[in-house]
Amino acid sequence: MSAPQQVYEPFRAGLPPLRKYWKSLWSRRTFISEYSRSELREQHFDSIFGQLWLILNPLLLSGVYFLLIVIIGGSGGAIRYGHLTASLFLFYLVSNSLSGGVKSVTAGQRLILNTAFPRMMLPISATVIAFFKFIPTLFVFLIMRTVLGLPFGWEMLWSIPIILIALIFSLGVAILISTINVYFRDIASFLPYLIRTLLYLSPILYEASSLKPELRVLEYFNPLFPILDSWSISVVHAQTPNLSSMLAASGWALGVLLIGTYFFLSREREFAVRL
Amino acid sequence: MSSLSASNTHHKTGDLAVSVQNLGLTYTTAIDRRPTLKARVKSLGRGTKQTRVVQALDNVNLDVTYGQVLGVIGTNGAGKSSLMRTIAGIIPPTHGRIEVFGSVSTLLALGVGFNPAMSGRANVHLGGLAAGMTRKEIENHFDEIADFSELGDAIDAPMRTYSSGMYARLAFSVAATVQPDILIVDEALSTGDAHFKEKSFNKIKELRSEDRALILVSHAMATLREICNDVAWLHKGKLVSRGNPDQVIDAYQDFLHLGKSSVIDEDL
Repeated sequence: MSAPQQVYEPFRAGLPPLRKYWKSLWSRRTFISEYSRSELREQHFDSIFGQLWLILNPLLLSGVYFLLIVIIGGSGGAIRYGHLTASLFLFYLVSNSLSGGVKSVTAGQRLILNTAFPRMMLPISATVIAFFKFIPTLFVFLIMRTVLGLPFGWEMLWSIPIILIALIFSLGVAILISTINVYFRDIASFLPYLIRTLLYLSPILYEASSLKPELRVLEYFNPLFPILDSWSISVVHAQTPNLSSMLAASGWALGVLLIGTYFFLSREREFAVRL
Repeated sequence: MSSLSASNTHHKTGDLAVSVQNLGLTYTTAIDRRPTLKARVKSLGRGTKQTRVVQALDNVNLDVTYGQVLGVIGTNGAGKSSLMRTIAGIIPPTHGRIEVFGSVSTLLALGVGFNPAMSGRANVHLGGLAAGMTRKEIENHFDEIADFSELGDAIDAPMRTYSSGMYARLAFSVAATVQPDILIVDEALSTGDAHFKEKSFNKIKELRSEDRALILVSHAMATLREICNDVAWLHKGKLVSRGNPDQVIDAYQDFLHLGKSSVIDEDL
């Protein structure tokens, strides 16, 4: 008599066996890449015009906001415009991850009801898709900052760990919001307000350094604040970002990912009966 | 988490395929089909219940061996689908233990078609990858799946353009072609037109083999009498009886106070 290939037992402390979970998640990484690719193809982002649209959208938005800033009396200038565009591009990574992640679990209903697999694959795919949409904007920004004559420097390499932190944060919020959406299906309609609020509370339309000292507390309550601040310092100003902001950003990102993952895993069992 | 990856082990008739031990399943489900924050906020302070606790399975013990074709019968809400989902690893049990000795393929009520905007081809690929197959294994089976489903060119059209029969045909083809050790079919035999129904019925018969276990949930008693060599009857989450198909089905039909009538015998 051979040993069973699979054993299903009640979860301990409401969580699936983590090691096994991670292993089956890893073995299905082809699903994540295949899914992201078909989804991008589906949205026509594999074509030239699709990619163009991807870039055009935040570019137009940054143009509109720049207009707004100049009109309400802010200072214009190359740095300002570069900051606005770069920040919006990174902000879009988070917001695309949120809006893609929110319905990832509920849209995967048929698959969830029919197949045993680590459900976490679905919000992960949403973040991967958001990341693929982010990549072309990086090149656009590189061209733009050359045209604007912004300074170049090795300090710009700080952007790599910052993108990583932003990705971890995006993944955390995607996982969190996909779980919430199982319980409250109308969360997606609140999302635009949430994203708008985040946009205004983050140093995008303004620079963190120009903020009134009493408003600097935002830094501690808005996870995106230190991420975007460090991002702008490194890619726009080509300076070394503040170490404490980087640490705060990593702390926020890891914290959100941990909480989101715990929340997701402890609820995952219910998904098949809640959908 | 189950994996559909082909296992190289050969199973002998009589070997244990699935062992269900003291299985209990309780879950909480939302009363609203589409629970919303808005509805929740509006009913704040009303004290209305938002969720319902369902005891789907209660102390079920069931062994399935290779070579067996087990029919599962019972009234609606008896826990048949819950039992299938726990065996497939889709819902973890609340009590007890399930051991599975082989790869499992499931054809549960809904079938494939995970993203209706994508083509049938993409959906088959994604479904297979999610079930733990490799790209190569899916490629190897794909032509056979497409052939069996008789979808023709429609396999490359978005699945939202499919009729329900086409959905069902594709789902059946996927589940039946991947050559699983254990195949679970939940009320999905009576889909498609008469031609496909017969074809899938024959396929099931063909899949009955010494080294495979089949579990079929159905309300079509005539079909079960013909295909199964074992029947289990569930009622309100409990296993009522198990054994010879004719005896168990007769007892079940007596229990329902129904004689043998063509209405319940036929695949409707």
